[in-house]
Amino acid sequence: MKTKSNLERVLKAGHFAVTAELGPPRGADPEAVRKKAKILKGYADAFNVTDGQTAIVRMASWAACLVAKEEGLDPIVQMTCRDRNRIALQMDVLGVAALGINNILCLSGDHMSFGDHPGAKGVYDIDSVQLVKMVKDMRDEKKFQCGEEMEVEPRLFIGAAANPFAQPYDYRPYRLAKKVAAGADFVQTQIVFNLDRFKEYMKRVCDMGLHEKVYILAGVSPIRSYGAAKYMATKVPGLDVPEEILERMRKTPKGERAEEGKKICVEIIQQVREIPGVRGVHIMAIEWEEAVPEIVERAGLLPRP
Amino acid sequence: MIGQTQKPLEEILEYLQGKEKVVVMGCGGCATVFHTGGKPEVEEMAEKLSENGKEVLAAIAPPFGTFTCYAPWSLEQMKPHRKEIEECDAILMLTCGDGLQVVREFVLEGEFGIRKPIYPGTNPIGHMGGGPTLFKEKCMQCGECEMGRLVGICPLTQCPKGFLNGPCGGTTKDGKCEVDPERECAWVMIYERLKEFGELDKLDEVRKPKDWSKMQRPRKIEVSPLVLE
Repeated sequence: MKTKSNLERVLKAGHFAVTAELGPPRGADPEAVRKKAKILKGYADAFNVTDGQTAIVRMASWAACLVAKEEGLDPIVQMTCRDRNRIALQMDVLGVAALGINNILCLSGDHMSFGDHPGAKGVYDIDSVQLVKMVKDMRDEKKFQCGEEMEVEPRLFIGAAANPFAQPYDYRPYRLAKKVAAGADFVQTQIVFNLDRFKEYMKRVCDMGLHEKVYILAGVSPIRSYGAAKYMATKVPGLDVPEEILERMRKTPKGERAEEGKKICVEIIQQVREIPGVRGVHIMAIEWEEAVPEIVERAGLLPRP
Repeated sequence: MIGQTQKPLEEILEYLQGKEKVVVMGCGGCATVFHTGGKPEVEEMAEKLSENGKEVLAAIAPPFGTFTCYAPWSLEQMKPHRKEIEECDAILMLTCGDGLQVVREFVLEGEFGIRKPIYPGTNPIGHMGGGPTLFKEKCMQCGECEMGRLVGICPLTQCPKGFLNGPCGGTTKDGKCEVDPERECAWVMIYERLKEFGELDKLDEVRKPKDWSKMQRPRKIEVSPLVLE
């Protein structure tokens, strides 16, 4: 074990892992985090706490992680390159490790233009691949990015994101290979709706032997309404929602669409579980954390190891 | 070239509040191409200022090719107007910020020993190329060109996140940029070109964080003087 991460323990033991997303509140209320943590506890092995997702100001990921940890969760701090340069990133990496956080997800971050402060200056001093490498060198070489050494290294289980559904499709397995070469221990993918494309991607990933070097968790998400399905299909860059899923949501009577969304999610979990190289799922129930326990249970993923 | 747009007249008049006698100066380089400080714009500005009660002592429009940001040339253009410059209350520059500051530092304060209020009449919006109508920002002058590995496309400028290790996860289905779906994703273009040239292996290396100290402002450089035949 490289770290004290529960996620690492579960994956190393060969179990099919479950992670779930916890979105911090748009305010300073710790109870909002506690409430979500209580709903999610016991239904996943680790919990991604988002870092200003869609570039909207929310409680800092590391702070919400700390609250979640007090509630007994093993949080994954998400860290984006959008708002911090290499100095701030390394300081935060040291800080979260010192506070007992065991996992980190290294991201580039949604661009400022999507958020509530489009006039903000983006940092992007380094990119997500370089962030993975930097954290890896800090942990395994005890070295800062500049090459200087530290005494106590941050013992973090290092994650990265992968999107099989963005162009250029041919390049995406190589992009993953780059994150693996940089030092990613686990990878969480963009939400899988298009199973055909995902299978094709995973086949190439396995042909390249990447599934033996990194734990791959397939991203899934329950769709709450037909409006949400249409929004994801047309407005979210890098998401691929096939026509048949849209159609299925549209044909379902209005009052039953949330239920149908959960059903689709459970079906997708069951199908990705069968795909060689997939070692777990990452459930992103955006502002719908209450849906997670039922989905995990219906997918036959309880009890958690 | 330095892309630029003209400032609203109201903003210019606000700067010139209380200044009666004004000298207007343009540029025979970029400001001429972008129609912000060529001969027609300098004359038009002089007219508008007169209509608004200003006394325009001189309207200097350097001929095409004579850059105001090049100190020897702006000095040459301003020398015949030294008297008006000494007499004026303010100078309005229809140039980029380089032109304005070169004139202030090298010509006025350096050569003439004159300290005068000097104001901008344009908003520079970046170093760009193209034309005759459409100009695009292509280079950010990072100090260490990365294009040797990137088949002639600079992602530092063409990718809104400035990535050096491949595309982000937001590329659209038709290969456009998530930030501006009108535009091709820089990394899709780089990928396609590398594929065409059989050089995709160039993408395998994990590129180290860039040395941004080479972009530490303000930068400077010394060269031998330009000699034209």
